[in-house]
Amino acid sequence: MQEKNKVTGTPVSRIDGILKVTGKAAYATDYPVKNIAYAVLFKSTIAAGTIRSIDTGPAEKSPGVLAVITHKNAPKLKTDGGIRGGALLQSPKIEFHGQHIGLVVAETYEQARHAARLVKVEYDKSEAKVDFEKLSKEAVLPEDKEKADAKRGDAKAALQNAEFKVEAVYGTPIEHHHPLEPHSTIAEWQGEKVILYNSSQIVNGAQNAAAATLNIKTENVRIVSPYIGGGFGSKGGQWANLVLTAVAAKVVNRPVKLALTRQQMVNSVGLRQQNHQKVSLAATKDGKLTALAHETTTHCAIENEFVEPCGDCSKIMYEVPNSLITYRVVPMNLILPTYTRGPGKSTGSFALESAVDELAYQLKMDPIELRLKNEPTRDPSNGKPWSSRTTVQCLQEGAKAFGWEKRKAEPRQNQQGNFLMGHGVACGTYPAHQRPSSARVSLNRKGNAITARVELAAADLGTGTHTILAQTAADALGLPLNQITVKLGDSDLPPAAGSVGSVGASSYANAVHDVCVKLTDELIAKSGKQFFVRPTAAQLMVSENVADYQTRVDAKPPANADQYSSHSFNANFAEVRVDIATGMVRVTRFLAVTGAGKILNPKTARSQIIGGNVWGIGMALTEESVVDPRWGNFVTRSFGDYHVPANLDIGAMEAIFIREDDRVSNALGVKGIGEVGIVGVAAAVANAVFNATGKRIRELPITPDKLL
Amino acid sequence: MRPFKFTTVSDISSATKSVAGKPNARFLAGGTNLLDLMKEDVERPEELIDITRLSLIQIKPLTEGANKGGISIGALGKNTNAANHPLIRQNYPLLAQAILAGASGQIRNMATNGGNLLQRTRCPYFYDVAMPCNKREPGEQPGCGAREGINRMHAIFGWSEKCVAVHPSDMAVALAALDAVVKVRSASGPERIIALADFHRLPEDRPEIDTNLRPGELITAIELPKNRFAEKSYYLKVRDRSSYAFALISVAAALELDGNRIVQARIALGGVAHKPWRALKAEQLLVGQEATEVNFKRAAEAEMADAKPLEHNAFKVELGKRSIVRALQVAFTGNRS
Repeated sequence: MQEKNKVTGTPVSRIDGILKVTGKAAYATDYPVKNIAYAVLFKSTIAAGTIRSIDTGPAEKSPGVLAVITHKNAPKLKTDGGIRGGALLQSPKIEFHGQHIGLVVAETYEQARHAARLVKVEYDKSEAKVDFEKLSKEAVLPEDKEKADAKRGDAKAALQNAEFKVEAVYGTPIEHHHPLEPHSTIAEWQGEKVILYNSSQIVNGAQNAAAATLNIKTENVRIVSPYIGGGFGSKGGQWANLVLTAVAAKVVNRPVKLALTRQQMVNSVGLRQQNHQKVSLAATKDGKLTALAHETTTHCAIENEFVEPCGDCSKIMYEVPNSLITYRVVPMNLILPTYTRGPGKSTGSFALESAVDELAYQLKMDPIELRLKNEPTRDPSNGKPWSSRTTVQCLQEGAKAFGWEKRKAEPRQNQQGNFLMGHGVACGTYPAHQRPSSARVSLNRKGNAITARVELAAADLGTGTHTILAQTAADALGLPLNQITVKLGDSDLPPAAGSVGSVGASSYANAVHDVCVKLTDELIAKSGKQFFVRPTAAQLMVSENVADYQTRVDAKPPANADQYSSHSFNANFAEVRVDIATGMVRVTRFLAVTGAGKILNPKTARSQIIGGNVWGIGMALTEESVVDPRWGNFVTRSFGDYHVPANLDIGAMEAIFIREDDRVSNALGVKGIGEVGIVGVAAAVANAVFNATGKRIRELPITPDKLL
Repeated sequence: MRPFKFTTVSDISSATKSVAGKPNARFLAGGTNLLDLMKEDVERPEELIDITRLSLIQIKPLTEGANKGGISIGALGKNTNAANHPLIRQNYPLLAQAILAGASGQIRNMATNGGNLLQRTRCPYFYDVAMPCNKREPGEQPGCGAREGINRMHAIFGWSEKCVAVHPSDMAVALAALDAVVKVRSASGPERIIALADFHRLPEDRPEIDTNLRPGELITAIELPKNRFAEKSYYLKVRDRSSYAFALISVAAALELDGNRIVQARIALGGVAHKPWRALKAEQLLVGQEATEVNFKRAAEAEMADAKPLEHNAFKVELGKRSIVRALQVAFTGNRS
């Protein structure tokens, strides 16, 4: 097919858009399962200790109640079967405030919720470790080998002797994913088999974890998750609520629906950990970096470790002879932290890119120039060549589009009435990987009308996966877009990678492309003919008079992919307006320039980048989950307290993509954009706030009180 | 939520009769706060009396009585309609601004004017039944979670050891500045008129009681007297997010001028106390003075000198001073940028 006729790379509107705006796209709790009962979880009101007694009598007698399940009567589950965060009702031990300690199943949701409040629990409390500011001094080396101290050269010595240096600690708070669709499940047993309608970013992962935890065969679990109302990492790993729904359905011998409330989300499905990041930079007076140290201190759960890789950007962003990346972690009585959009990179880039801005100011050098001076030609962490790297283009094209040359280098030089204006820049990056994924394509011909069905157990987070796969298949088969049906999110389909870590688009699109090519090859072989011009599958169906044809592929990343360092890159430009009297900050303009390989659909891609930018602005200015250090409870449990940016917080947003053709990363050159959109954003905003006010805020979020 | 009885009434007298003698019955109007609180088991009414069919939605000029020349705002009118009503936009723009600074468009479409006054604090310890709160559990005196807890959003004026919560309304702050009165009815006795400034109370030893409404009383209207503030007023709200965030500090400021000389001043603060906080000290210092930044600052500093911040909200003292000055400046000059 000629390039100009392709739908891939064009801004097609979502093919599932109409279904969504008309309410026809079924999310997990929307399935009309008959004879359903409702489950409501109840939670611990202490952060550490054991349950001494639990009186479920009044709850059991409450109208409509079918069962009350606690650790005393819960079926035995495998606690290391892949469910994250524990809380599977297998013991009386309490490890964090708000841990699930039981659930009520009733005829109606209201009856279940009411009865859950009638359960009386007595605890033996032990001392809770919940005050990070105090406990961070006790942090130790993580068990995770990837978090071992990574040294190149001697950063400490280079810092001691440096002519110019920045040494500062940057703080980022706990954040929550808070997807619009709270985690929810319907469980329906059919004999030995259980169907779980469940919002899952990794369909096969959810299947495996549920099966292992329930001690049943993998093929006896079916996950149905075609649409997901956002996940941001919290629906990557699966949490106790998935399996407990299946348990409840087994106990009452009926289908059961369990949906978390917004308030329950804060201690049910992970969080982004709080970090203290010490970044030290040393440089010569002409701006060559001589040392970079990035030392992260954080917390994990009491039993399980998770440490987001805050030092990752620092490993690869700059050419520097002496480098030190370390992690220290302290177990705390809080729910297990987990992958959260741009894990490690979004928070790590805030620290690194703020420090680079601080150094540029100290050197009296433009922060873009400082970055360009330290651009690495190979991956400094492992010496591998880049598959492609677009940092320089992102910075240069961004500077031009943003009007960077008009920025005042000195802070507080741009007052407009009651406001100080400021401009900031920061870079970001995220790894680009393809993961193994299978796909099936089926062609059907009625007369000359040919339709195709593309199937794989991929996950569409709401970002447009259905659409980009239809585009990919349309081009590869020679069919119009509207003849393609895409079916995703069902573990009965060929297994696929998760929609996590920015691997979805590359893994799925390559698999779909491969299976369409394979199908065409097979039809050609079947015809027994030689073709001078390769026909499309659509043409072959007609010419060879085929009614139905189906094939499947197990796609794998390119064999030599690991010889290269593959990443998406970006440069973020922020303009802020700070009210001089009140300290309120507004991002009036934001520009993200991204090099992320082939962009399959500029429309959905732009939305996804802007979505990441908005969360980054939230990280910079508004979002913070606050723990009461006396009791370990979150005091920010609703959208009234946890401030996700509102429309009024967001000014003009612009997204530019750098054209690149990186066929080293994967055959289609697709790098993924899910994570990179948030990386570097908070730093760009914080740097702009410094440029506006002269105040360097190193503790996010930048709320008005910090600028008084 | 707990099971409850649901009663529908169609006029004021059946409404007040339905609630008489029932301490655990609540009127249901917009429900934007009450239903949330019931779902979280904070409010536990045994009966809801649906008053949404009462015809108390009108906004009209007052042609007689103490507030002749002013307006009456029906208690069951929606916040959105009040904010957009020509009488309010023209004569009381401060009130329109305050209403629009509160909540979100969806909530304002549901929330009523009377209900706005009766919304409960957003203190997170009040909202979480796992936490101690004297306001929620008065009998058991479990203590105040916020007093020694996370209290960045809490009071700097008029708090007690029992409660450091703030009243969340923006609308009520403007009403306090505009000398509004609240008209209430009950099954027994005549109509009662309560000055907005006396409507809400400080927590003292009884933080569970937010207002001076008596049991069984129904708000029927809010009245605003005629004034000369329409030209020179401004509602400033400082918050962590540009919409749908409660005030760190808000200031309702209104000036009546003779040339540059201040004839009358009205200042009320939100986000600082258990009730809309009339800044009487600042007002008195301004009367008769020139409208200058120096005078605004002097008044602001005098008002905030009495503030008693908690562990996490000392910033509100400085922010309060700056915000009073800014609000007065904008009220005076009309220039917001």
